[in-house]
Amino acid sequence: MKERTLLVVVLVTALLVVAGIWVAQNVNLMPAEASTRAALVDQLFRAMLGLAAVIFLLVEGLLLFSVLRFRQPRGDDGDALPVHGNRALEIVWTLIPALIVIVIGFYSFRVLAASEIREENPLVVNVRSRQFAWTFEYPGTSVISSDLHLPVGRQVRFLITSDDVIHSFWVPEFRVKRDATPGQMAELLVTPTREGTYPVRCAELCGVGHAAMGLSSRVIVESDEAFQAWLTQAAALPADPIEAGRTLFKRYGCPACHALADAGAAGVVGPALDSLADPNGPHAHAHGGMDIRALVEQSVLDPSAAIAPGFADGLMPKDFGTRIPANELAILVDYLVAQK
Amino acid sequence: MTSHTIPHADDFRAGRELSLDHRKLGMWLFLASEVMFFGGLVGTFLHYKATLPTPEAALLDTVLVGLNTFVLITSSLMVVLGLDAIQRGRRRGLITFLGLTALLGAIFLGGQVFEFISLAGHGVTLQSSVFGSSFYTLTGFHGLHVLIGVIWALVTLMKAARGTYTAQEHAGVEAFGLYWHFVDVVWIVLFTIIYLI
Amino acid sequence: MTTATPALSPRRYFGWSTDHKVIGVQYLVTSFFFFLVGGAMAGMIRTQLLAPDSTLVSAEAFNRLSTNHGSVMLFLWILPVLAGLGNYLVPLQIGARDMAFPRLNALSFWLLVPAGLLMLASFFVGAAEAGWTAYVPLSISGPDGQTLWALSVILLGTSSMMGSINFVTTIFTMRAEGLTFWRLPLFSWSMLATSILVLTATPVLTAGLALIAMDRLVGTLFFSVPAGGDPILWQNLFWFYSHPAVYIMVLPAMGAISEIFPVFARKPVFGYRMIAVSSLAISLLGLTVWAHHMFTSGMDPRLRVPYMISTMIIAVPTGVKIFSWLATIWGGKIRLDTPMLFALGFISMFLIGGITGVFLAAIPVDLHVHDTYFVVAHLHFVLFGGSVSGAYAALYYWYPKITGRRFDERLGKVHFAANFIGTNLAYLPMFLAGLLGMPRRVVNYDPRFTELNQLASLGAFLLAVSVLPLLYNMIVSWVNGPKAGDNPWRARTLEWQGSSPPPVHNFDQPPVVTEGPYDYGEAEARSMMPSPAAAGD
Repeated sequence: MKERTLLVVVLVTALLVVAGIWVAQNVNLMPAEASTRAALVDQLFRAMLGLAAVIFLLVEGLLLFSVLRFRQPRGDDGDALPVHGNRALEIVWTLIPALIVIVIGFYSFRVLAASEIREENPLVVNVRSRQFAWTFEYPGTSVISSDLHLPVGRQVRFLITSDDVIHSFWVPEFRVKRDATPGQMAELLVTPTREGTYPVRCAELCGVGHAAMGLSSRVIVESDEAFQAWLTQAAALPADPIEAGRTLFKRYGCPACHALADAGAAGVVGPALDSLADPNGPHAHAHGGMDIRALVEQSVLDPSAAIAPGFADGLMPKDFGTRIPANELAILVDYLVAQK
Repeated sequence: MTSHTIPHADDFRAGRELSLDHRKLGMWLFLASEVMFFGGLVGTFLHYKATLPTPEAALLDTVLVGLNTFVLITSSLMVVLGLDAIQRGRRRGLITFLGLTALLGAIFLGGQVFEFISLAGHGVTLQSSVFGSSFYTLTGFHGLHVLIGVIWALVTLMKAARGTYTAQEHAGVEAFGLYWHFVDVVWIVLFTIIYLI
Repeated sequence: MTTATPALSPRRYFGWSTDHKVIGVQYLVTSFFFFLVGGAMAGMIRTQLLAPDSTLVSAEAFNRLSTNHGSVMLFLWILPVLAGLGNYLVPLQIGARDMAFPRLNALSFWLLVPAGLLMLASFFVGAAEAGWTAYVPLSISGPDGQTLWALSVILLGTSSMMGSINFVTTIFTMRAEGLTFWRLPLFSWSMLATSILVLTATPVLTAGLALIAMDRLVGTLFFSVPAGGDPILWQNLFWFYSHPAVYIMVLPAMGAISEIFPVFARKPVFGYRMIAVSSLAISLLGLTVWAHHMFTSGMDPRLRVPYMISTMIIAVPTGVKIFSWLATIWGGKIRLDTPMLFALGFISMFLIGGITGVFLAAIPVDLHVHDTYFVVAHLHFVLFGGSVSGAYAALYYWYPKITGRRFDERLGKVHFAANFIGTNLAYLPMFLAGLLGMPRRVVNYDPRFTELNQLASLGAFLLAVSVLPLLYNMIVSWVNGPKAGDNPWRARTLEWQGSSPPPVHNFDQPPVVTEGPYDYGEAEARSMMPSPAAAGD
């Protein structure tokens, strides 16, 4: 009897270990692995998933087995044999979980340390967030973009902050996020390893545009040559005024909140900006005898001066006057007014 | 072994072997939660003291507030003397010392109001800076506790005058005493972190 | 023999009463009302999320719904339903006639009602929309309802603290003769551990909420970023309470489970002392882990690892409980009545919540899954699969005690099946959505998550339907159910030794306890001296 029990315990343990290893090696629940950190995190995650599978199967198995095996026979009103405890068993199931979490803790610490190692000559990108858009600035250039372009294989040092409330910069394929907190500058190190286009999410509730903010920007990881070419092209404004206007519209993050067919924008936080100048269009009410150009300019610089019906005051940042140079503002307003 | 009467509960006292009076235990638990409440406010004050410049701190009148602190400590002594009096069955003594406690508490509050007015005269207000916000909030919440204590002292005094307390039965005085000492101790902590360090 | 039959006039449940049994039922019924309200909010949320770009609910309304869904479920359903169970049961389990402070007890309940109405009324002035976490500075600028929300939570916290003072004092000073701490039923143990935690953690949240309320009402600058206010400070104050709050919400449920297993396995609790002590261990450790919610907020990097370790260590006492429960039913004579089914469901679902908690504690994994649907799934497995299952189990188990009637066993099993399937269907897909990149609290989402969200919504709708057999069963059985007898489950804890429902004064004579509460299979002698009230039938 004693030997049989031992045999069963050994067999079940072996089965559980095999199941755990199988899970760790074959179950993938993560999106694409696009950074050095992602590779490290996924290793840790898969190891934990294997351990979790063992514990899950053990507990649920014991539960099911007990329920099926130890039933009160019909007509039996008696109690079971009283067992109040077993010191050895209790020590085992205190120590083994303690050991497991210590190992996981140690492993996690190793992964954390490895993923935060500084490399030589990182690319610095300033991540600025506000309700409800990301802008990425490349210090040393004049480039400000709402999409994040990165060269593959070079460490990026993100400096992350917010102009208003807390946002959280998250690229799932990089396996990391960092809160953008107003008044503070957070640092985040990522080395992209895989070319492709990935979403930038906002992971901290930041207001009515929170969901939109997680759907509007992308990361484009590309070869160093492609990245340098983009940087050069993005620094300059296209000569064609419409193209220049479209570029500025995107650069300053307008698509996060406004819809505009020409720019492929579909934001819903603020009013749609198509057909602004059409006297019979959806914005006819706003003209109120005011020159349309002056009205658009006023709405950019002082959003509270005139509020489109159906929208709340205070949603649009009031600092565009200090952020957009006068010549760019003129191009942007011309572009908006020209939209049919 | 004294027995207290509360509705439904007589004879149901496993606590008697621990000689715990339920009113005193309840009071201790309440004060423990108060410690955590002030802990939150003190933590806030200290955090900002450590991270922000506080030029207003130079305006604080440590001498005046030091005197006020002395007044409050003296009032705690009055409570001790009052409790001692009733334990010896001296009701008059209890009444006198409770009256002195309330009076000293009121003097403390007066001092605090004076301090607030003079600081406001220098432009330090709840809305003037983070320091102003946290200074007035912390000392104000404490002042509110003193005010409640003064009222409680007067209620206890009236009960004493009506003869509610005897040498054997005076848990109500003890509960008030615990509260008052607590308010006193909190002030000593506040005085140290706001005015001395 | 004289029997003090309880006056079961329904009217006594509708007004001021200092009887802990009346207050207990008042808590249970009131919290259930708020459960339905919070559930309706969840229903609207899950309907909106059936399609990635649905416009059924505006972004503003969505944020208000999700904020108040969380707040109502935590502060107005789980906390008070457990407080209601504690109120009803603790004095009966320890052989007391009432709580130590009966009037304070009534006041705790009557604070809950206006506080709850205040939170619901905030919808008329623009409800809170900054999440139940109310992160600053977002929560400083929101609509007026945000202020009402803060005041409501302050009141609810105060109610909870008053209740806790009562529980600790009652358990310390009013136990019957012979009822030592090592004979204290495990549910009462868990209420003790919980109450200590409430008294330590809640005041800190109260202080933080007072600062938010003052910033909004009188213009203080605690969380004004231009003036130097620190948004991270609020997170510390908030999580110092709100992480322990999870244990506050799950420990009493664990206590109820610990009562149910020995009764329905006809076996003593395995490792009684370890279970009792692990409750205290979880309470104390629970106070040291709060900053694991802030790994992504830029806290001091050196502090992260200690918080990770302390968080993971909590898995140890939790594991002790789970293994002790398994050992309790091992070799027993199990009967699968509804309370037992919910207790077994508790283990199997809480386990998932517990394991994924370790994933969240591991910093590198947390940096990926924090603030995603992974967290939403985790907390619902803990709080719905765990706390709510435990509350259901307790409601069924003590229903004959409270009403003197039997509920319909078939409807109970239907409820269990729908609840078990619904919970897993609703929350399992959320783990995957979170891992793949879906943030929490979003009104619209990337179309790649559509199927996962539709599965989750389906599960949520099943959960909504599952409440119907429960409601019907509870109401109809109270009126029409067969008489249950005093001790239908043949339990040995003290609350079952008197008549069901209990007489007004619980025990006409002080009971004397001579052995432990779970001595199943031991000598057949009665464990308690029968009080005259017990001989009622």
